Amino acid sequence: MSAAAKRKRINHLLIHAGLICFAAACVYPLLRIFSVSLRPGDKLFSTDLSLIPAGATFISYARLLGDTMFLRWLWNSLIITLATSFIGVSLASTAAYAFSRFRFPGKKAGMILLLSSQMIPAGMLILPLFLMIMKLKLMNTYLGMIIAYSVSSLPFSIWILKGYYDTIPRSLEEAALVDGTSQVGAFWRIILPLTTPALSIAFLFNFTTAWNEYLVARVVLFSAKQYTWTLGLFELQGQYITQWGMFAAGSMLVTIPVLCVFLYSSKWLISGLTLGSVKG
Amino acid sequence: MDILKSIYEVSWFILLIAAGVAALEGYFYSHFKFYARPWFFPAALSVFPALALAVFGTLLGGYSFKLWLYFLLAEAAIAAFFRFAVKGRHTVPYLLLAPAFVGLALLLVYPFVFEVYLSFHDLKLTTIMMWKNTGTLPFVGISQYIKVFTTSPLSEITFWALLGRTLVWTFSNVFFHVLGGFLLALMLNNHIRFKGVYRTLLVIPWAMPQVVAVLAMRGEFHSQNGFVNIIIAKLLAVFPFLAHLGVAPVQWLSDYPLLTCTLINIWLGIPFMMVVILGGLQSISSSYYDAADIDGASYSQKLRFITLPLVRPVMMPAVTLGTVWTFNNINVIYLVTGQSGGTEQADILVSALYKAAFTYNRYSYSAAFAIVVFAMLFFFSVFYLKSFDAAKDER
Repeated sequence: MSAAAKRKRINHLLIHAGLICFAAACVYPLLRIFSVSLRPGDKLFSTDLSLIPAGATFISYARLLGDTMFLRWLWNSLIITLATSFIGVSLASTAAYAFSRFRFPGKKAGMILLLSSQMIPAGMLILPLFLMIMKLKLMNTYLGMIIAYSVSSLPFSIWILKGYYDTIPRSLEEAALVDGTSQVGAFWRIILPLTTPALSIAFLFNFTTAWNEYLVARVVLFSAKQYTWTLGLFELQGQYITQWGMFAAGSMLVTIPVLCVFLYSSKWLISGLTLGSVKG
Repeated sequence: MDILKSIYEVSWFILLIAAGVAALEGYFYSHFKFYARPWFFPAALSVFPALALAVFGTLLGGYSFKLWLYFLLAEAAIAAFFRFAVKGRHTVPYLLLAPAFVGLALLLVYPFVFEVYLSFHDLKLTTIMMWKNTGTLPFVGISQYIKVFTTSPLSEITFWALLGRTLVWTFSNVFFHVLGGFLLALMLNNHIRFKGVYRTLLVIPWAMPQVVAVLAMRGEFHSQNGFVNIIIAKLLAVFPFLAHLGVAPVQWLSDYPLLTCTLINIWLGIPFMMVVILGGLQSISSSYYDAADIDGASYSQKLRFITLPLVRPVMMPAVTLGTVWTFNNINVIYLVTGQSGGTEQADILVSALYKAAFTYNRYSYSAAFAIVVFAMLFFFSVFYLKSFDAAKDER
């Protein structure tokens, strides 16, 4: 074996070692939650580090689903998130089309408004939104939450969708216009079906943002029945330290689907993210 | 039953929004279409203010003559604008934009303006009932702003201490995000086996719901049951001499809360940087490296003169974004240090702002605080983007 090939092999071994260490650091907390969620009730606070604990049981899952309102919290989150994403994506799809295809006075100002809205600290708008929702008597309701969430991802969605529309050749619509379709008809029947991938990315982005949100929910919702899962989990871990097993079980139930969706879609999500940020 | 009720409630709400959008489109469409007709002004002025009063009356405090007058004036201005300035041009794009921008105006611009209003008035627990009933608040001028710089947003820490801590927090986080991300991206950017597996595993902290990730990590820093202290204890058992170097299990959450938050946030933030930088690395053509190899360049030379300059344009926007995100990160700190009764040793500007508003109920104070923070962030971004543009022009 030549010296160069040998060096390369050693290099690769080192790289593998480094990557394995980092990957372990990334995965380990998740595995720990999994292991805690399987522990029997009397061993929750053991300092045991094994992945499958002795006497593993699904009792925490059963108690979580039976004794707490976890399913209800998931349902609350789901309905709020779906409504928010639906509203957000519909508003974004038309606005992005206008930005992509037309020249009109105020276009640049509009784009700048969208960009600069990203600079507003997230925490800053919570107070006025909270007061607005209070004034509208929508505290502790789905509608209050949907209102508070609905435009938070709008600028970013418009940005992603505009980038995607820009890649669709104009000749497609022009052909349709020659055939006598209206501008709106061309958008509805030709452009929208073509942008399904981008629409799903925008939907996903809206969905994950609202699904994982905690701070607004904390101030708008105050009865356990209306909680989203983020509030519920915080409650399980924060207030009653004895519910560590249920917290872990709940975390697993929420994380696994989110993780699958994220890993499945990460390629597109990341290209959307970098596209938006590079242009910004 | 509850489920049916919630579906009913939300679908009803979505229908309401759809109706609102339709009404909005109809309203603008009529202005675009009929702006030149002789009956445009009388028709618009008689129909729309009355309709607006009927729809928004109760929301905005009763069906008063004064409110109708406001609507009339607004409609007169809008109608005149459409007649003499817009003249029916660009109908399609404006109609497409209208719903999104009305939404943004109501839920982003208006709250922002309202925050400015609050910061010059006095809203706290004792005046909130008055505000609820009458809608007015005592005007206090800039005294809230003076208070921001002279009194503590929480119980003892001052604005300046918070500012310093925020800068340290932001800098150390972003530094380690970029360093870690760069290192991992360099390692991944080789022809090695299981690359996809590593990549998938390495993005897990980013992919996990943040609330779960942070709360789980908080558990790992618990002084007895947490993984970190268990490992330290095991290390001490194997290598007793470490104890002389000061290695010992510590009360992470109560004694070193800021360090704990920083470690957790570094763990959370590396994958994003890694993915962005990896994208940049993969876009570098291998011909540069081949040419450098022929010239006999060393690894560090290649890194310094090829990789770094070529990754920079991809990295800079991500670093800017990361800086703003870290600066604004309430989530990690709030979830780790808890809410009322929690320690304030880890608070940064934005989390103090959130706690001042919702734990201490000092609404107007926190509004003024928010405006100050926003101004700082705004100037940073403008200045930074300007200098970035200037650097671009030089090249």
